[in-house]
Amino acid sequence: MTATKSFTISTAEAYTLIVVLAFLLAGCSKPVFSPNRLATAAFLQSHEAPSIEEISISANNLTNQLFGTPDAPLWPESLDQVVDFDGVKRSAGPVGRAHDRVERGLYRKHCVQCHGITGDGAGPAAILLAPYARDFRRGTFKFKSTPIGSKPTKADLIHTIEHGIAGTSMPAFAPLRNRDEFAKDIEAVTEYVIYLSIRGEVERRLIRSATGDESQLTIQDALKEAAIVVDTWKQADQKVQAVPSIPTLDRDSLAASVARGKELFNSDKTACFKCHGTEGRGDGISQDYDEWTKDWTIRAGIDPASKSEWKVMKKFGALKPVVNRSRNLHLGAIRGGHSVETITKRIVLGIDGTPMPSAAIGEASPNSLKSEELADLVRFVASIANVKQTEEMTQGTSVAHHAGGRDES
Amino acid sequence: MKVDQENRIVYRWSLALAGLTFPLIWLGGLVTTHDAGMAVPDWPGTYGYNLFLYPLSTWLFGPFDLLVEHGHRLLASVVGLMAIILCFIAWRCESRGWVQRLCWLLLLAVISQGLLGGIRVLLDERVVALIHGVGGPLVFSLACWIVMVNSRDWKVANSNLNVSGLRWITRALFLISICQLVLGAHLRHALPTWQPTLFVSFVHTHLLLALMITLCIFLSAILVFFRPYRAHRELRLPAMLLVGIVIAQVALGLGTWITNYALPWPELNAFFANYTIAGRGFWESMIINGHQATGSLLIVFSLWLLCRIERRCVASRFANISIQNEVTEVIAGNRTNPVLAGPGVS
Ligand code: HEC
Ligand code: HEC
Repeated sequence: MTATKSFTISTAEAYTLIVVLAFLLAGCSKPVFSPNRLATAAFLQSHEAPSIEEISISANNLTNQLFGTPDAPLWPESLDQVVDFDGVKRSAGPVGRAHDRVERGLYRKHCVQCHGITGDGAGPAAILLAPYARDFRRGTFKFKSTPIGSKPTKADLIHTIEHGIAGTSMPAFAPLRNRDEFAKDIEAVTEYVIYLSIRGEVERRLIRSATGDESQLTIQDALKEAAIVVDTWKQADQKVQAVPSIPTLDRDSLAASVARGKELFNSDKTACFKCHGTEGRGDGISQDYDEWTKDWTIRAGIDPASKSEWKVMKKFGALKPVVNRSRNLHLGAIRGGHSVETITKRIVLGIDGTPMPSAAIGEASPNSLKSEELADLVRFVASIANVKQTEEMTQGTSVAHHAGGRDES
Repeated sequence: MKVDQENRIVYRWSLALAGLTFPLIWLGGLVTTHDAGMAVPDWPGTYGYNLFLYPLSTWLFGPFDLLVEHGHRLLASVVGLMAIILCFIAWRCESRGWVQRLCWLLLLAVISQGLLGGIRVLLDERVVALIHGVGGPLVFSLACWIVMVNSRDWKVANSNLNVSGLRWITRALFLISICQLVLGAHLRHALPTWQPTLFVSFVHTHLLLALMITLCIFLSAILVFFRPYRAHRELRLPAMLLVGIVIAQVALGLGTWITNYALPWPELNAFFANYTIAGRGFWESMIINGHQATGSLLIVFSLWLLCRIERRCVASRFANISIQNEVTEVIAGNRTNPVLAGPGVS
């Protein structure tokens, strides 16, 4: 029975070991906002400069002084309150409910595995997603009602978070609305996304100014940059660009309009076909990258298509560059929303951060689309993407679409 | 006949305990899926109440995550009480010292699991949740092991297998399934601070082990129909059930991937392109939970097959030595206590 004896002892040992380990491990995983080394290296156009570490850390420290930590966010008093700070506080920190029974840690509960603690789109699951999760720190968002270069409105972000982005890993969090206790969580986490985005953009701007001149960064610089970034968010609501609504047509006029739209799609005036292919199957030229990738590749003198070149940036957290393919519109995955209205928005406003341009609209210039032409173009895209134009007209659309296909062959 | 009957008590009680541990694991999984681990901020009490005195109405009709978390705690304490009673029963009725010690080990394991759960809440640490999540299925397997060594098959099995091909495959299967559990827990409890490359390496290893497990299971399911294992028809049931479980498990694994990270190749067709994950949807959480619960079933069933094969191999320390010459007698019911064999004897 000696064998069994030693067996019990080793169990006791193993047991203590586990408990000790649990305590040890417990101490070493505090999430922090990590410095933006990739942006620093990109702005310096170097992957070896000793100042990369120095600049990224000092920018990070200053930003943290203004905005706090992932567990204890702050909002500088001198800045305008563009975010509802209660929502930010509720979304920050570890997941759970305190004695006051208020749900907290929403961001870590729902978003962190993809978007990362810092909102850098480099959460643990990042590499496995295509497209990669959004890096909020650039302050660029794709699906919004404001023009390229402007910030989205809160309503835009809420819409994305609630409905998700079809064909990507971005989930629809609408199920949260079904439970009373979670009903306001989407709004709260939206505030946190804006907070992270502002925080990250301030940090980026600090890094850019530090790489531009030699002087030390100060908290005044940080506050100045913060005021600029906050201002862009404040303007979002005024920047909303109304898009013309597309009138519904009867079956025959719709077919004619779709045919005209197809012609426009393939004209040099819109150049849609150049990227999306003549049929809109996404088979045009499509070699371009998104802005997040271009920042640290093309703009930093690195060829994103050459592994030996981009590899050097991996140590700063760069993910493999992936071509931002033009969409195959026949698949019907209109990521910004599956309706005629959202298609119109995407065509008129473009998709920020991607090669997809905004179309010039106007009645006067021959190079811009007149509202009738825009309507034709939208109807063509809606028809191939199988978006219902009205209840009774869907059939007409698909007929028109097939007829269009036959014309070609 | 008396001792034999008393052994049935150990068997029945441990079976009931194991039977309750499975829903406990399921509930524990729901706690993770719904991130309800911190739905109750204190421990061992619930919002200041004693665990057993927490008002029924706020528990049952309050927030879902509180229902799950408090339910998990209640069920866990029931299992803990049952483990204490099991030790008592084993002390009175179980003649094999090592089985008695196994029961004590189970009690120790259940208590540590409870403490780990408490530490997880008090420290609010996801790493502890990870360890707690690995511990659950291990406790479940231990409880099932106690059931197995008290089962009729354990008593009457005939140790006459001289080859050990299947034995090694099953051992490998059991070990790999445990590793798979640890990896799975790492994927499920991925810490927000992990590097993406680390996570990817876990995913790839998880897939590799899944392949190995599937191969082991299919191989054993084929082997049990051939000589020399053919004569031992009792090996077939666990092997066949394992085939079913692994198929379900692979499907659930795919489902888990899709409900967490979307379908791959969105350009494949319109369905793929339009698929949007429902964050926190009901079916999504059931699939994820099912994958985890089926994983622990897979471990337990490979342990079952392992027990049956170890008991039948002459070379095994668990070989049914006492019975080798007396099989006929036992079956006739002439012997009172045939179950003396165990690790100590060999
Ligand atoms: C499973 C991974 C995953 C999770 C979880 C996730 N996202 Fe995303 N998210 C993505 C991906 C991928 C994209 C980029 C999609 C694209 O570029 O088309 C994205 C994009 C976004 C965008 C940008 C939309 C735009 O218009 O540019 C926002 C905002 C966003 N996510 C917020 C959130 C919030 C808030 C949560 C948590 C409540 C969350 N995400 C959870 C993967 C995820
Ligand atoms: C320079 C290349 C390019 C041109 C020109 C272009 N697109 Fe795009 N388009 C893209 C890319 C790239 C995407 C995918 C963007 C993304 O990552 O979500 C896209 C996406 C789209 C989408 C999907 C929107 C959504 O919500 O998912 C539509 C619709 C679309 N384009 C229509 C058009 C139309 C109509 C034109 C002509 C006016 C056009 N595109 C011109 C590159 C282009």
